[in-house]
Amino acid sequence: MIPGRSPAVPAALAALLAGALCLTLESVAPWLARFPANWTLPATDWAGTFLEWLLLGLKPAARWFSWLLGYPMLWANAALGQTPWPLMIGTATAIGWYLGGLPMAALGLGGLGFVLLSGYWVESMNTLALVAVSVPLALAVGGVIGVAANEFPRIKSSVQAALDVMQTVPTFAYLTPLLLLFGFGPVVGMIASAIYAAPPMARNVILGLERVDPEVREAAVMSGGTRIQQLLLVEIPSAARQIMVGVNQCLMAALSMVIIAAVIGGFNDIGWEVLLTMRKAQFGLALMAGLVIVVFAIVIDRMSAALAHERRRGDPRVAYGIVALSVLVVLVFQARLPDPSTLTFLDPAAERVDRALGEFTANNGEALNQFRNGAMFYVLLPLRIGLDEAALPFTWGFQWTATMSAGLFAAAAVAGACLALSGRAVSGLLLVIGSGIIETGIANLPWPFVLVATFSLAWVASGRRLAILCVALLATVLVSGLWERALLSLYLSGAAVFACAVVGGAIGLLCAVAPSIWRVVRLVCDMLQTIPLFVFLIPVLMFFQIGEFSAFLAICAYAIVPMIRYTRHGLVMTPPELLEAAVASGATPWQIMRDVRAPYAAPTVLLGLNQTILYAFAMLVIAALIGTTGLGQSIYLALGSADVGLGVSAGAAMAILALICDRLVQAFAEGRRTALGL
Amino acid sequence: MKLFLTGAAAVALAAGNVPEGAQAAELGAVDEPIRLAINEWTGQHVSTHVGGSMLEAAGYRVEYVTAGYMNMYQAIADGEIHAALEIWSSNVSDDYGRKLEAGGVVELGDLELEAREGIAYPSHVAEICPGLPAWEALADCASRFATAETLPMGRLVDYPADWGTPGADRMTGLALPFRAVPAGSEGALIAELRASTERESPLLIVFWQPHWAMSAYDVRFVDLPVGEDACFEDPAWGPNPDAVNDCDFAPSRIFKAAWSGMREKWPAAFEILSNYTLSVEDQQPMMGAVDVDGGSVEEVVASWMAANGDKWRPVVDAALN
Repeated sequence: MIPGRSPAVPAALAALLAGALCLTLESVAPWLARFPANWTLPATDWAGTFLEWLLLGLKPAARWFSWLLGYPMLWANAALGQTPWPLMIGTATAIGWYLGGLPMAALGLGGLGFVLLSGYWVESMNTLALVAVSVPLALAVGGVIGVAANEFPRIKSSVQAALDVMQTVPTFAYLTPLLLLFGFGPVVGMIASAIYAAPPMARNVILGLERVDPEVREAAVMSGGTRIQQLLLVEIPSAARQIMVGVNQCLMAALSMVIIAAVIGGFNDIGWEVLLTMRKAQFGLALMAGLVIVVFAIVIDRMSAALAHERRRGDPRVAYGIVALSVLVVLVFQARLPDPSTLTFLDPAAERVDRALGEFTANNGEALNQFRNGAMFYVLLPLRIGLDEAALPFTWGFQWTATMSAGLFAAAAVAGACLALSGRAVSGLLLVIGSGIIETGIANLPWPFVLVATFSLAWVASGRRLAILCVALLATVLVSGLWERALLSLYLSGAAVFACAVVGGAIGLLCAVAPSIWRVVRLVCDMLQTIPLFVFLIPVLMFFQIGEFSAFLAICAYAIVPMIRYTRHGLVMTPPELLEAAVASGATPWQIMRDVRAPYAAPTVLLGLNQTILYAFAMLVIAALIGTTGLGQSIYLALGSADVGLGVSAGAAMAILALICDRLVQAFAEGRRTALGL
Repeated sequence: MKLFLTGAAAVALAAGNVPEGAQAAELGAVDEPIRLAINEWTGQHVSTHVGGSMLEAAGYRVEYVTAGYMNMYQAIADGEIHAALEIWSSNVSDDYGRKLEAGGVVELGDLELEAREGIAYPSHVAEICPGLPAWEALADCASRFATAETLPMGRLVDYPADWGTPGADRMTGLALPFRAVPAGSEGALIAELRASTERESPLLIVFWQPHWAMSAYDVRFVDLPVGEDACFEDPAWGPNPDAVNDCDFAPSRIFKAAWSGMREKWPAAFEILSNYTLSVEDQQPMMGAVDVDGGSVEEVVASWMAANGDKWRPVVDAALN
């Protein structure tokens, strides 16, 4: 972007003006500060009425589909549940051997061995049956969507939007409608996880087909194949690698959703165990049940990744040998095989973990309290309700007054003017706007300011179309009466994203510099991403009790992962030529990091930030189990009272917030990429 | 003739007055399993398995199906789950009322499990706030319960938002300087109790019994003025002349519900479950045997059934003969 013609200065000025106007007129026109309740439309009720009518119409077809899906479910369940465990373990080891030799075989053996010893074998097989049916469904749906988007380029942009919606509307929001449609039982959980898992497959199919070499395409056309033949015989095979990435991502997403199936119930699966132990605040057992899911995820991830890379396969004869051996074990020990649900080898370990958690809480109670109070008083509360309400005699030691507000604004204005005079007008304006936000607090921001600021930001990031889209979406939240809850959600996830960006960025940088740290961090990241999020809630609650700080930490624990991964990835991937050139011109390692690696990594890091934002919104619903207010709580309330309208509206509002943040960040990333010539 | 009698029994039931000495009913479709809902807490597992074992003793097949407590009513109305045997009136989903009205779900009468809800605290808190369990003591030591979010008021951990806000109502009613913070889930309530016990930190919480945590964390109730109807309607009643809700919780009712088609399909089972009751004295030791001693629900219930035939056998016999 050329500085002279940058729209940033007028945009920031407009936002500042809107904010200042709102603040000064607040006392005469209270409708500026709070959107009047009688201006809102009963959109929640409308949505409820319309959806109930629609769902009733769709119900017969859906029930039929549900009945149909019940069969593969039953078969998968019978096959996995009836197979003796030595044979299952043997098969996994054999597949591991065939795909990747000794390390993979050891992974299969060790992973399933852990599951067996945990005593959750039966529940795990039920979970696996669920995944075994939902993943093919998701793959089929995702594949068809991807191919369709490729065949008809006109629908591509609407397909992309639909995929975004599928990934950003929290699953809990549409559980009630699904329950109404498909009836009770594991089928609902399966469909929910298929909805969530299909988009990665579709995206990768689209990407893979887009990247097929034009020459390959032409060759297919010239050899006279029909369109179907071209697609099936040439294009899809040559996109196979990208599609396999999609398969892998689809598997992981489906596995991370199994816990959702448990909230409905109908199925004695591992997610239900996590819920039961979570209800009793038994961290050790919850962690063990959660780790079973992590183990599955890691085994499936590594093996399907090995499948995607067509490297040398292990000797199939050995694999057959392993299977034969396990059949032999079953035959010989048939009657003496222990019932897997009676195994409790790992229970003492789980108890030890639980006791350690208790002792830690007991010994560090005071320090933990002080830590939480510090974070609440000086960071979270001012962010939410502003300095004017957060600075009180018993928090900060003094009462915030109007004079102090005036002083703060004056100081910000002076500093801003200095920045503007030294040629950084945008930074100066942003500083003044920022001080205004801190003074008022995010939850109390006047709605006209939020609309104008979003419009300006979107305009600068991309242009008029995005700006209009963003404001139109925000306006729907505003009139639907969910605005205040939306601002609360925005505040909580905003604070979490900011913390994740700073801390995660730093960890990512550290990992990029020191590979030995990365080896440890990577394992932690894998675990944080696949363990059911419910498991985190117990220790966080024990340490910091019910409240926003606990919710904030729980969100951070999950949302920090992409920031770490992408930052490291971006910094490590700098082309060697660039580094050599920098070294040759005598740059120090620090200069290389700052002037070569960091700018080059910027688009990747922004993508990581984008994922962090989406993750933070996704976690808001789970954080409602701690006891937060905001959209997450609304979704949970709706689930409890089977209120279709509220659930879907709150879910849509959450998706809108996530989508706007996503589009803004992507537009900025695109700008960076163009500037770098990538 | 027998068919006619069954019909008469059904009419009597439909009128809502379950006679004390239940009438004999037909078994109905014995070859199809009756599916009972298993919700998220141990007490409910015990109640359901006792009821299920009674059905089995009568010659039925029973399946236990895990189901989310809050969203199982659609499944019951659809006839995919046939009965739920422990529903608390204090936190029943709105959906139950809707399904009851629409006719998919019918109530099966009280389980007669005597529940108590109230403002509670782990026993060590009595040292932090001397004067407990008298509720008047709370007014003076509210500041000891204060936290970052509630300053200068004390903090009361209330039920999850979807169960209602009884704690907040009490604090307003009694004009106590406490702010109620809703927990997000039962797990959050337990984690609070556990952390408070381990740290010996102050905690005031809305809780209920029968619950395994009552004994595990030595939880005591605050003595509030005994609740009666006038307290919830007439502000003049009670210690605070200007507000309602200035008393203890109204006793909460624990009841059973079934799929509306159950009466037709399994008449005797409907009878048995309608007349099935369980007392706290019976349920609490079984909960302890599962949660504290690590027994399995099936074994604990089986041994209780064997030892207490006199308590449940008459209900089964009355329905069959």
